[in-house]
Order: sequence, then structure tokens, then C-alpha cells
Amino acid sequence: MQQASSWIRVLVTVVVVAAAGVAGWYLWRTYEESPWTRDGRVRVNIVMVAPDVAGAVTDLRVKDNQSVRIGDTLFTVDPARYRLALAQAEAVLAGAKSVLEQRQEEQLRRERLSSASISEEALNQARTATLSAQASYDQAEAALGVAKLNLARTDVRSPVNGHVTNLLVHRGDYATAGRPMVALVDGDSFYVAGYFEETKLRHIQIGDRVSIRLMAYGAPLTGHVDSVARAITDRDNALGNDLIANVNPTFSWVRLAQRIPVRIAIDDIPKGIVLSAGMTATVVVTDPDDSNRIKPPVR
Amino acid sequence: MIKEINLDGIYLPPLLGYLAGAAVLWYVLRYLLNRLGVYRFVWHPPLFNTALYVMLLSAFVAATL
Repeated sequence: MQQASSWIRVLVTVVVVAAAGVAGWYLWRTYEESPWTRDGRVRVNIVMVAPDVAGAVTDLRVKDNQSVRIGDTLFTVDPARYRLALAQAEAVLAGAKSVLEQRQEEQLRRERLSSASISEEALNQARTATLSAQASYDQAEAALGVAKLNLARTDVRSPVNGHVTNLLVHRGDYATAGRPMVALVDGDSFYVAGYFEETKLRHIQIGDRVSIRLMAYGAPLTGHVDSVARAITDRDNALGNDLIANVNPTFSWVRLAQRIPVRIAIDDIPKGIVLSAGMTATVVVTDPDDSNRIKPPVR
Repeated sequence: MIKEINLDGIYLPPLLGYLAGAAVLWYVLRYLLNRLGVYRFVWHPPLFNTALYVMLLSAFVAATL
């Protein structure tokens, strides 16, 4: 094969290599700086439902993974003790009422007497006795309210729309007031956390359109950037003794960019996709003009 | 659009797919260039080919990203 003249051959090669340099630079910028990450997670708010009153669980109304609506009863704490407490409070109220009525009658009778037949002191005593009886009555009334509330709270209800998850309560378990018994997934609160390298954050704006590809499904979800976390833990400065900084003196040569959580609000979920918190997602910030393209890095 | 590569449950970065795709195109292109006799105008074929690969890869990424 006949060779072309030497300087043309050098020129062609140099031009192609220079073009490759430019292309490589573009490739590096696009691939390394474009705002996308494979490190995304589906997240959700978990509500830990705790009973407000203590007692054995007498009636479990939900199954594991069952869907619940706001106000649905999850389980019932044995109400027997709280019914008795209610009856007791009613009795105390009735007693307080009769005492109050008696004091009021006494006061009324004494008020009608002339100042010659009753001393000012005795009259004052009658008035005070009425006020005291009134206070006791109000107290008994409030106690009745508490007893009613406690009885109502033996029905433990769902505060959210969502699903029961990892149900570990059984009929007969003893429920302690304030100790969480049931984890509820708040179905209205799904979002995606994209853990972006800090170097990519400057290419991300609040409100940017986002395409979310779940590992589990082919069709992408759409969303937008809701917010960026304003703090992550400084791994090189664990709190030492005496509230003093404990800075790690080993500095690694090879190091990685920190990853900052970016909260992505989900706008649209294609039909047939069932989200579970913890799913892996690839998060791609898309071009505002073309949702099929990645957002180009800013200068 | 950028997507992970799933190799029987092992998920790999998309760049690996771009590298492989560009390599296939590269072989085809080199064969064609050879047939057309383009290498008569080339001073340093391995350097030229490497540059060609980088450009192909960039074009591939630019087209699909």
C-alpha cells in the first residue's frame, strides 16, 4: 500500500489525537460531574404506635402488612380495669355532687338569717365550705373525664394511612403505656433519598426534575429535588472525653467525596409499581427541556 | 439514559457498558478504515486508534446520556 507524504500523516494523527483530547475532557466532565447517583434509597416515615394505657392485648385487629386508614383500630388493650375506673370516677362525682348540694343549701339558709342570729364568721365558713365543695366536684368531674379518656384509649387506633409492617404483637401480649408496639408505614410519605457526592451538589438546584429508576422496576418514577441535607457527621472528629475535639491524625491519601443526602419528592409513580422503603434507586437529575437527558453540569 | 448494568444480580456502573459498546464499534470502525485505506494517512496507528476509541466512547456517552 502506498504511503502518503510524511507531514500529512503526522498532521492527521495529531488532529485526531487533539480531537480525542477534547472529546475525553467532555466525556470526563459529563460522566463524572453530571448530577446522577446510583446510591439512592426509597424512604418513608415510620410511625411507632404506642398504647396510651397499659394492659394485656385482648383483641388484635390487624395482620402483618395489612393496609390501614386513619382511625382504624389496631388492637385493644384489656378495658376491664378502665371500665371499673370509670365507674369509680362516676361514684366519686356523685358523692361530690351531693356534698356540694348540701353545702349550697346550708349557705343559702344562713344567708337568709339576720345578722343578729348568725355571726359573720359562721356565714363566711358556709361560703368557704361551698367553694371547697365546688372545687371537689370540679376535680371529680375532671377525674371522670380522665377515666373516660383512658377507656377510649384502650382502643389503639392508626394515626396514618398506610401499612402495618413487621407486626410482632400477639393477642395476650402485655402492652406498656408509652412503649412502641406497632410500626406503621405512612403510605402518604414516600420519598427518595439520593446520596450525591459533594462534588455534584453544585449542579443540583432545588426544584430540578428528577428521574428515579428503581432496581426492581423498569419504568422510571418522576420527581423533583425537594431539599438538600445541611449536615452530615464529621467522621474525623468524634467527640472525645471532656467535651474536647478528637481529630483523627491519619489522613488518607486515597479518599472519597462525602455523600450528602438530597431529598427527592416523588411526583408520579407509574401504574403497577409498589414502593417499599429501602429499595435501591438510581437518581438522575434530568434536563429541564428534555426529561430523557441528564442535566448538563454547570460551568 | 444512564442505567446500571445487571450481570446476574451483580450491578455494575454504566461506564462499563459504554466501554464495551464503544469497543465493539471501535473494532468495526478499524476494519472499515483499514479496508478504505485510511491508515495510509496515519503516522502512528496505535496512537490514532486509541484516539479513535476515546472519541467513540465520548460520542457514545454523549448520545445516550
